[in-house]
Amino acid sequence: MSGYRYLFSQLVRRELRRKYKGSSLGVLWYLINPLVLMGAYTLMFGHVFKLQHFPDFPVFLMIGLMAWTFFQQSLLAAADSLIEQGGIVRRARFPRETIPAAAVTVQLVTFAAILILLTPLSLALRGTSAPATLLLLPVLVALLFGFVLGCALIVSVLHAYYRDVAPILTAALLPWFFLTPIFYEPDRSIHFVAQHPAVATLLNWGNPMAPFIRGLRDVLYYGTAPDLGRLLYMAAAAGLALTLGSAVFRRMEGELAVVL
Amino acid sequence: MSPASPALAPGEIVLRGATRSFSLRADNAGTLKGLLLGRRVAGPAPVPALAGVDLHVAPGERLGLVGRNGAGKTSTLRVLAGIVPLQSGEVACGGTVVSLLEFAAGFSRDFSGRENIYLQGALHGLDRAGVEARLPEIIAFSELGEFIDIPVRTYSTGMFVRLGFSIVAHLAADILLIDEVLAVGDEAFQQKCLRRIGERIAAGTTVVLVSHDAAAIERVCERVVVLDSGRVMFDGPTDEALAFYRRLIGSEQGALLP
Repeated sequence: MSGYRYLFSQLVRRELRRKYKGSSLGVLWYLINPLVLMGAYTLMFGHVFKLQHFPDFPVFLMIGLMAWTFFQQSLLAAADSLIEQGGIVRRARFPRETIPAAAVTVQLVTFAAILILLTPLSLALRGTSAPATLLLLPVLVALLFGFVLGCALIVSVLHAYYRDVAPILTAALLPWFFLTPIFYEPDRSIHFVAQHPAVATLLNWGNPMAPFIRGLRDVLYYGTAPDLGRLLYMAAAAGLALTLGSAVFRRMEGELAVVL
Repeated sequence: MSPASPALAPGEIVLRGATRSFSLRADNAGTLKGLLLGRRVAGPAPVPALAGVDLHVAPGERLGLVGRNGAGKTSTLRVLAGIVPLQSGEVACGGTVVSLLEFAAGFSRDFSGRENIYLQGALHGLDRAGVEARLPEIIAFSELGEFIDIPVRTYSTGMFVRLGFSIVAHLAADILLIDEVLAVGDEAFQQKCLRRIGERIAAGTTVVLVSHDAAAIERVCERVVVLDSGRVMFDGPTDEALAFYRRLIGSEQGALLP
C-alpha cells in the first residue's frame, strides 16, 4: 500500500481539481456550496420556523450540518467512485481501496476547511471553548474519518456489483438526516422525546452519526470534553466500520475489473 | 490476486490449470433482488476464456500469443497482470509486471497528456520523483510535441496509443504484457515500438505479446502459443506455431466450404 501513496495523492488532487476545472472560482466552490446550504438551513430552522432556543444557533447548526454533509457526500461519492475509475481498475493492478479512500479524502478536505473557518468563529461567539478541549478536535475528526471510510469501502464495492445500492442509499439518507441531531438535541428540543427516555436513548445511541455530531458539539459549542462513553462509542464505531469495511472490500474486490 | 511465489525468478511466469470463464449476463454480477432472495435468475451459460491453461515462461523469454477473437489471449494477459482472478488453477509472475491493455482506458479525459503520465506512473507504483525522472524520455518517445499539454479528450486513437505505449515502455518491469495495440499506430511508430520492445528484451525483460500481425510476432517472439476456446492448441517455436495457426484457420475455412 505504501508504494501507492503517490497514486492516492494523485487521485485526491485530480478529483479536487477536476470537478471545477475551468471555472473561475475553482476550488472555492467546495466551500461556497456547503456554506450556502448552511445559510439556508440557518434561515429556515433558526428564523423562519423559530424551532430552536439555542444561543448562537448558526454555530450549533453548522457543526452538525458539516459533519453530516461530510458523511453523506463521502458515501455518495464513494458509491460512484469505482465505476468512475473503472478505466484504471481494468488497466493495472494496484490496491483498489485507494479509489474510495481518495473519494472520502476529497470530502475531508472540504470538511476540514469549514472546520477551520468555524472554530475561531465558535470561540469568539461562544467564548467557552477551552484550548485544552480543542485538542480533542483532531481526534474526533480522525475517528469520524475512520467511521466514514469504513462505510465508504462497503458502499463503493457493493454499488459496483449491485447498482441499486446508491439509489437505496440516497433514499435512506433523507430520513436519516432528520433522525440525526443536527438542528436539535433530541432530549431537549422535542417534547415527545423528552417524555420518553427510551426514544431519546435510541436517537442518541442507535444512530452512529449522533455521538459523532454531539461529540463535535461538546468541544466546539459547549466547550467541554465529550464524556468517556461517547468517546469510546466513537472509537468503537470507527474501529468496527474500518474492520468490516476492509473485510467486505477485500472479499469482493477480486471481480471488480469484470463487473466495472 | 495470487500470492507472490518466492520460488519464482524475476521475469518468470507460471500458469497451472488456469481456468476462468465470464458471465454473459447484462448485469454482470446479478441483481440485488437475486442476492436478497438467495437465488440467481437463469441466464446464458458462462463463456470459458481460459480452460485449463498450463504455461511456463522462462525469464527473458519472448512469447507470442495468437488465436482467433475470443480465443482467450486478452484474458490470459489480464490474468497474468493480476487484474482478473482465476476461478481455479494457479498463476504466478516473478518480479514486477507492467501491462499495456485497453490502451485508451484509464486516461482522464479532462487532463493533459503530461498530467496523465503522472497518473499512469502512479498507477504502476511510481512516486513523483520516479515519474519525473522518466518524463522527458516518455514525452520525447511519444512524439506528441505540444499536444502533451492539451487535454487528452482531443487526442486521436493513434495519439492515445503513442502516449500509452510510451509510458509503459519506460516503466521498469521484469515482465511486459502488450495487447494488440501496435496495430493502431502508424507504420513508423509501430517500427519504433518494436525497436523499443527489442531494447527491453535485450535488457532481460520477459515479453508477452498478443497480436494478429504475424510480422510483429515473427520479429519479437521466439516462441508462440496458439490459443483456441481457452485451450493451448500449440506451443513451440514461432515459425512452427504460425504455420500451425494458419492450418487451424485454413482447415476451418475449408470445412465451411461446400
